[in-house]
Formats: sequence, C-alpha cells, structure tokens
Amino acid sequence: MIFNIQRFSTHDGDGIRTLIFFKGCPLHCQWCSNPEGISYDHTILYDKRLCRDLGECMKTESRAIRRINGHGIRIERGQIAHPEILRDVCPSRALTVVGEEKSVEDLLQEIEKDRPFYRDNGGVTLSGGEPLSQTAFLVPFLRALKERKIPVNVETSLHVKWENIAAVVEGINTFLADLKHTDTKKFRAFTGGNARMVTDNLKKLVAGGARVIIRVPVIPGFNHTQKEMNHIIDYVDSLGIKEMHFLPYHTLGMEKYRMMNIPYPYEPYKPVRDEEVYPYAEYAQKKGLRTKTGG
Amino acid sequence: MRTKTYVEKITPRIVHLREKVLSTKPSVCTERARFYTEIYREHEDQPVIIRRALALEKTLKEMTIFIDEGELIVGNHSSQHRAAPIFPEYAVDWLPEEMDDLDKRPGDAFYITEQHKKELLEIAQWWKGKVLWDRGRAMMSQELRDLQDAAIIKATGNLTSGDGHIAVDFPKILSAGLAGYLEEIGYYYSKVNRTSREGVKKDLFYNALAIAIRAFRTFILRYRDLAREMSAKEPDRGRKKELQVIAKNCGVIADGPPQNFYQALQLTWFVQLVLQIESNGHSVSLGRMDQYLYPFYHNDILTGKMTEESASELLENTWIKLLSISKIRPWSHTRFSAGGPLYQNVTIGGQTTDGKDAVNDLSYLILDTVGKMKLTQPNLSVRFHKNISNDFMMACMQVIEKGFGMPSFNNDEVVIPGLLKLGVEPQDAWDYSAIGCIEIAVPGKWGYRCTGMSFLNLMRVFNAALYNGLDRKSGKTFHKGTGHFRDFSSYDDLFRAWQHQIKYYTQKTVEIDTAVDTALEENAPDLLCSAFVDSCIARGKTIKEGGSKYDFISGLQVGIANLGNSLAAIKKLVFEDRVITKEQLLAALESDFEGEEGEKIRQLLLNYAPKYGNDDDYVDLLLRDAYMEFINELEQYHTTRYNRGPIGCKYYAGTSSISANVPSGAVVPATPDGRKANTPVAEGSSPSSGTDLQGPTSVFKSVAKLPTEKIMGGVLLNQKLSPATIRKDRDKQKLISIIRTFFEDLKGWHVQYNIVSREILIAAQKEPEKYRDLIVRVAGYSAFFTTLSPDTQDDIIARTEHTL
Repeated sequence: MIFNIQRFSTHDGDGIRTLIFFKGCPLHCQWCSNPEGISYDHTILYDKRLCRDLGECMKTESRAIRRINGHGIRIERGQIAHPEILRDVCPSRALTVVGEEKSVEDLLQEIEKDRPFYRDNGGVTLSGGEPLSQTAFLVPFLRALKERKIPVNVETSLHVKWENIAAVVEGINTFLADLKHTDTKKFRAFTGGNARMVTDNLKKLVAGGARVIIRVPVIPGFNHTQKEMNHIIDYVDSLGIKEMHFLPYHTLGMEKYRMMNIPYPYEPYKPVRDEEVYPYAEYAQKKGLRTKTGG
Repeated sequence: MRTKTYVEKITPRIVHLREKVLSTKPSVCTERARFYTEIYREHEDQPVIIRRALALEKTLKEMTIFIDEGELIVGNHSSQHRAAPIFPEYAVDWLPEEMDDLDKRPGDAFYITEQHKKELLEIAQWWKGKVLWDRGRAMMSQELRDLQDAAIIKATGNLTSGDGHIAVDFPKILSAGLAGYLEEIGYYYSKVNRTSREGVKKDLFYNALAIAIRAFRTFILRYRDLAREMSAKEPDRGRKKELQVIAKNCGVIADGPPQNFYQALQLTWFVQLVLQIESNGHSVSLGRMDQYLYPFYHNDILTGKMTEESASELLENTWIKLLSISKIRPWSHTRFSAGGPLYQNVTIGGQTTDGKDAVNDLSYLILDTVGKMKLTQPNLSVRFHKNISNDFMMACMQVIEKGFGMPSFNNDEVVIPGLLKLGVEPQDAWDYSAIGCIEIAVPGKWGYRCTGMSFLNLMRVFNAALYNGLDRKSGKTFHKGTGHFRDFSSYDDLFRAWQHQIKYYTQKTVEIDTAVDTALEENAPDLLCSAFVDSCIARGKTIKEGGSKYDFISGLQVGIANLGNSLAAIKKLVFEDRVITKEQLLAALESDFEGEEGEKIRQLLLNYAPKYGNDDDYVDLLLRDAYMEFINELEQYHTTRYNRGPIGCKYYAGTSSISANVPSGAVVPATPDGRKANTPVAEGSSPSSGTDLQGPTSVFKSVAKLPTEKIMGGVLLNQKLSPATIRKDRDKQKLISIIRTFFEDLKGWHVQYNIVSREILIAAQKEPEKYRDLIVRVAGYSAFFTTLSPDTQDDIIARTEHTL
C-alpha cells in the first residue's frame, strides 16, 4: 500500500526524482513529519478548513461521523471498520482516505510520466513509512525499474529484518539510511525501536558493498547536541561510510496531526535552522566525510 | 563562457537617475497633442500621410527637450519625466470622460493639472468624429460592434492607440546611418512612375519619409546644440567633458553611422524613442541587442577605448531611459495591461544565423545590468537552445533569483522549426527575437502585431455552446447553436456545439481585425517605423500597405485552462460517472453555485474532474482538440496585406494575454470547471489558480501537449517560485535541468519565473509604501506590484506557489 506519489522532488537524492511513499512503519518517531504513513492500514484525514458542511460523509457513515455545533464534523475513527468506503464521498475533499493498493504497472505508469526529467542523474526514490517493510511488492517492482534502467534510491530506517534488505539490495542504487541515534535507550524512548537492529543492518549493508548515505534528522531534545552528534558521526566514520546528510527538524507535518485528530508529540519545539547544523557538518568534514545540510 | 566577471556595484550617478525615475509620479504632457492638432487643422487639404509627416516634424522640432543631471544617454519622451504624451488622432472620447478620474484610478494613476485638462478638452473638441476610433467603429457592422460591446471580443487597444509590437532593423540603422536612409529614399523616389495609382501613393510616401527622417535628424541635432550650450556653462570639469562627448556623439549620429559603442547605443535609444513619439503602440522592441551592438562593444574593449564598467553604466542609463517612457491608456484597456507596461523587449542569447551559440560577453553584460537595475523595462528575453552553456544558464538563474521575473525564456527548438514551417527563410528564422512579452518576430522584417490584435474570451464562447448560442451575459444570440445542453446526450454533442460556436467567433475576430487594420492603414500610417522595416522603402509602401517582408499576426485567446477543465468536468461527471445531472449543472451555473446544493456541485466539479496542469491526458487532450478547432478555422484567413507583397499574411494562435485574464473573467458567468462568476480566468497557457497540484514537471508536460508549434503568437507559462527554492547552486542546477527537459525534450515554447513569497505579496498589499520597488511578473511582463489594482494583486497571490 502506498500513500502518496510526489511527481517532482529535488530534495531526496540526486537530480529530479519521483518519490513513492509506502504506507506503514515499524517505528513511531515522535517528530515524524508523515504521521499518515505510520499505520499499515487506511488513514482518515479531515481538514476542517476545506469542510463545507455538505454532510455527504454522514450519509455513508451515519454512526461514526457526527456534525459538531457551528462547523465541521467529529469522526470516531475506531468505529469505522472500512475507512476506504469514505474515499470519494466528500465533495470538497476535506475528508480524505490515505492509502491505496497499487500494482507495479500503476506505479510504472506514473513514473514514466516524469522520466524525461530524470536526465542523467534523476530517478525514483522509495520513501514512507518504511518501504523495506513491503519487500514482496518491491522485488518485482525493482526488477521492472532495473529493466527500464531507472535508478532507485531508498529512504529507510533500516529497522526491518535483514532478509527484507537482502531481498532488494540488488535493485537499489543508493540507500539513504537514517541513523537517528547510537544510544539504544534514547532510540527506544523516542522511536519505539531497537537501535541495534539498525546498526547491525547497516554493518552488513556496508560490508556487502552497497552505496550508503547516512541521513541524520537533527531533532531538538533528542540528538541536537554536539556531543551526541559527534558520537553518531564517529560511528558512521568507523564503518567506512563516505557521505552524511544532516536534516534539520521541521514542523511542516504538524497540520497532519490535527487532520488525524491526534496530539502532536513535538509541539513545544521550534524548527531547527539550517545554520544550527553546520557545526555537525564541519565535524564530519574534518573526518573526511562528504556532507550536505538541509533538505 | 564569459571572459570577465562584472562588478555588482551601481555608480552613484545611476542610483540617482534610477531613484528619480522611480519616484516621479506619472503625469500628462499636452505638447504632442497640441502640435498634431495644429498641423492636422492647418493642413486639412493634405493627404493623411503628409499630415502625419508634418505633425511629426513639428513635434520633433519644437517639443521641449532636456538633458538631465548626470545622464549619459540623452533623449526625452515628453516635456517632463514620466509624463505621458497624448495621441489624439487615435481616440479622444475617453479623455473628457476619464480626465477627472485619472489620478484616482485604482492602478496606473496619472497626475493632471487643471490647465492641461482645459487644453485637452479643446483639443478633444476639434478631433471629435475625426479619430481612428470613430473610423474603425464605422467600418464595422452592427454585429461586430455588438460583439465588442458585449465584451466577447475586445479590440479597444487597437483603435485607441497605434500598433506597436514590432522591432525595427537596428543592424541596418547602425550601419547605414540616417544619411543612408535619405539616400535610399532618394534613389527609389527618382524611379517612381507617377502614371499609376501606386505611383502617386509612392510619391507621397517617399516625400513623407524624407520629411520624417530629416525631422529625426533635426531632433538629434537639437540635443547636440543643447549639450554644447550646457557644457559651455558647466562649472564641473568632469561633467563638462561628458556634455562635450554627448554633443559630439549627437553630431556624428545625426548623419552617418555610429563610430563606437556609446554612439551606437545612443542612436539605438533615439530610434526607440522617436518610434514612440510617432505612435503610441506598445511592445516596441529592441530585438537582438547583444548581437547588433556586439561588434561596437568588442572593438571598443579590444582597443581599450572603453571599459566594461563604463559600458555597464551606459546600458544601465539606457534601461532607465526605457522606463521613462510613459503611456496613458483608456481605463477599459488599462485593465488588460496592468502595471502601465510598455513591453520594450530586449532579446539575448539564442543562435547565430549559422546555428552556433550566440551568447557573447555583451549578452552577459546586458543580463547583469538588467539584473542590477531591477526595473520593469526592458523586458528581457533569453533565447534558449540545446547548446546554450550551463554557465550562461546559471547567470540567468542568478538574475531570476533576484525576484523580478526576468529573464524569461523562449525556446529556439520549437520557434525556429515553427518559423520555417510558416515559410520564413532560414537565415531569418535563426535571427528571430522576442517582441513585447513572449511573442516572436524577425526584427526589421516583420509587420506589426505578431501578437495582440483582438482578445477572444473563450469561456463566453463556451457558454454560448451550452445555451444553443445564447450569450447569457448580454442576453443576445449572436450565432444560433446546435441545441441546448439539457438536450445533449453525449460529450460529442457538446463538442459539436463548441465547434459550431468557435468557428463563428473565430471568423468574427478576423472581421474585427480586418476593420481595425483597414482603419489604421488609411488613418494612421507610421513613417519612421515603416522606413526602418525591410522592404517598405523598396516597395514604396507603409507596413500596413504590405511593405514588410513577412506578415503574420495573432489574436489572443483568453481562458485556455478553463476551457479544458470545463470540457473535462462535463465529460467525466455528467456523461461518464453521472454524478451530476445536466439539470443540476445548469442550475448550479445559473445560480453561481448558490446554496448548499450549488456548493456541492461546485466542489465536485473542482475536485472530481481532471484538471489541466497535472499531466493528465484526459483533460490535456480534450483541451488540445478544442483549441485546434479554433486554430484550424483561423488558419484559413488572411490579413489585409494578402497578395500585396509580404510572405505569409496569415493568422496564428496566441496566448500571451497579459493581465487580460482578470477583466475577461469579470464578464464571464460561472463555468463548469467550478469557477465562480466574474472571477479571473486562467492566465496565458498556465493552469487555473490552485489546480496544478502535481508540481512543475506536470505543468510542463500538460503545457507541452498544446499544439505549441501552431501557437506562434506565444504559449505563455508563468511559474511562481519562492526565492528559497533556488538560493543554493544545486537548486539552481535542478531548475536548469527541468527547463532543459521542458525545452529540449518536450518542446515547450516559453517559461518565466515569478520568484516571490505569498507573505511578501500580502504584506505589500497592506503597506504599499514599504514595497514600492516590489516587482512581480504579470503574465508576459514585470510590473510594480503596488501599482496594480487590488483584483490583479489578489489574482497573483492566488496562483499556486510551487516548492522545489
């Protein structure tokens, strides 16, 4: 299942790229900017600003959706067994259902549309969610992309079983792998995941000769200190990886929490400015790593 | 690759001149109107062509001239800075009507004194019934006048002012000098056979030309004398020297060809200036300035006669001069070209006539100086081609990043093949330049108005197709239809109704153009402009009589995206998915989507039908087919010059509709794309506001599906970007990369970038005084945002902003 195709992206790998967002993620990072991608199931989004109070949704789901006084609706998401029936009922698309099953052919058709723009360095980037959770789909998909000579990058947490990675490694040109923290306790507290799983996979990946770029989200209250970041950089360097990107924390996803009617866990934090991550990049450069800051 | 890097600094002299032109409030100058009225009145016995020559002569000999403090390039348009001269011979009725409100206009206000008002009233009184507007309207049938009054076809701009939309033969002017023209005129004059009607007309034409060229010469000599006089009195030794050089320059170029870059630029400016004293048509363009001035530039730099710094200063002074020209239009036409622009285009880059990259050091210098000045003039176009260097494209990106909408790009890869197909000779096709905003012509060889005769409001035509020919706005049925939408049983019925209506309206636009052209030919012949266009002198004809080598014109079609989106919405939602009934749709359109039911229909139309600009073949191909109906019909017609000399004499399509999308939308009822009544329609060939949700690559794909090779009047695409998106070099590189794909692979026609944030625009709307220098791109040109009317401002703000 995928939740979005972004036809034109310039921030996720070289050149002009088509981003495919796979739905579902094993981690629950508190700062996540794509919260609608976390669940492996359909997700209902509701944007009150677009709502025209036309009531079409209530005709389909009279029990779980109620009008609220003044303007808008309340959705009891837990009571909706099949959210997908709400997909095309809202005329103003204030209520949308995220998550769609697509075939390999569907995706290829979309990708072909942007192909003239790839020129000599663009291509497809798999993102999410965690794309490597969906290996069964990826294997034939990557084979088709390879046949078409379309380069593929993957943005991954590496928080999956090694078998999932091993199955696709041949079809991936570049791994844009997250390394959020080296401290296992902190990693678990903020993401719900196991840092060892990530580092073990990373070691194997590097040992196998895959092209890996490490991406570190710079998150205040989590890893945004020189000491912690130096640890991460030292570790990356020790694996013999050559390139690291520092991605400053941003709040562009905040509105989506409201649309899912869940609290935003990172509410109090301000976005990190580009300049704040320069010292980390400098430290990494001193160790001989290539770096990039910002999206 | 550029060989030098240029200084970013602007000299204090230029800073001062720039500030002066920016801070001067536009006003009105009555001198020209007075001179023209006197001559026309005194010489009522003379043929119009002689009257015009004499009136121009009197104006150039007697108008107030001045040399401003510090200026290096001289020549003023009217008695004061930014004072618009009046051209009574075109139209005067609007003057008494609008005079008292000129300074209160919501956009493009002009300051006018009571004394000037009084004088203009007297002048208007004499001209009543004698002007182009009256003659032009009289040449039209009642039906054509009704179509214009109903605002389905607009041609106001063409009867209230001259033609413009032309670039003259600067290379020839710079090599022959004015003396060369007098000699050529004399040669052909001596060969005139006066025993035929043509001979008599030629005789008059050459006489008039000689009067005009000599008057031009006198005009230049007046500046020589003034500079001499001023230098004699000038205490500052530096300035004294400068004035002496100015005097010397004027002395040289009044007769012979210029001897250096400075003189060549001064003569170029004089020509540009007098063309706009002779007539007030806008989009008088400078052509390929980096090509015809380059030999002078190269020689002066090579021999050490001039530094790049001084060349920069001369160019910057020239750009300020271009901005000093002011045009006053009736309010009805002002709304179609917001921001008071004159669209004086300068084209750089492209290829040489033998197909090599034409970018040279002067191309870079022009680009840099325009970037430094950040003014609305000139309108800078870059001719893109597949071998253009990355270095030059990066230099373009650096100027684009400054956020005033320049340069825009035209694409050789589609324009040149398109020109060849029209029958343009190869050496000319490779020498084309942009005219005005984005439209194109071969400079010095092409007649007026490669774009811009009449505006056709496509959505009014579409509405007539729904209502059996009834125009709901005016209540008139101009052309009985094939039936009413409620009786249509398929999309094919709708398409047939469209075919039926568009054929009729296409023919009507040509009829209106023909009447306008005939009136202009008979009542307002241009002399200097004809003299400077190949082959008017040899043929003994004005441009309108068929003097130019090539003749192609286009109208402007407004509402392209709305047409495609409306067709797609009906096909999908009414005939295929059947989620809206025909009755529901009609009721919603007629009530302007009133009530809950109307709003529901509107939201379905907006959100559940494919929209142009998202690379969706469903809608893109419907639009293409519908537009082709117009184009196929249009291609059958000829201009009034047919069989009178020029190659072509045909029409083609054009979409560079400037800001016409706002007033055009203001007279269109609700449309099936979900657009509410009286709101703006989409501009140019760009997607409708807020409907292109897939990013710029999808927009490029959709636009490229239009029959671009047939829309030689221009396929205008505006893309808005926020400055942050191209601040870094790697982002500039990515922008270059998608432009290359758009032009090289998809054969896109044109693109320009509006780099400005929404926040800034909104702030500027609230506090205009703080944003006086904020420039935005409105369709084909740049305008000062704070001078635009609020509805145009709103429209700019509403357009989708893409994030790279």
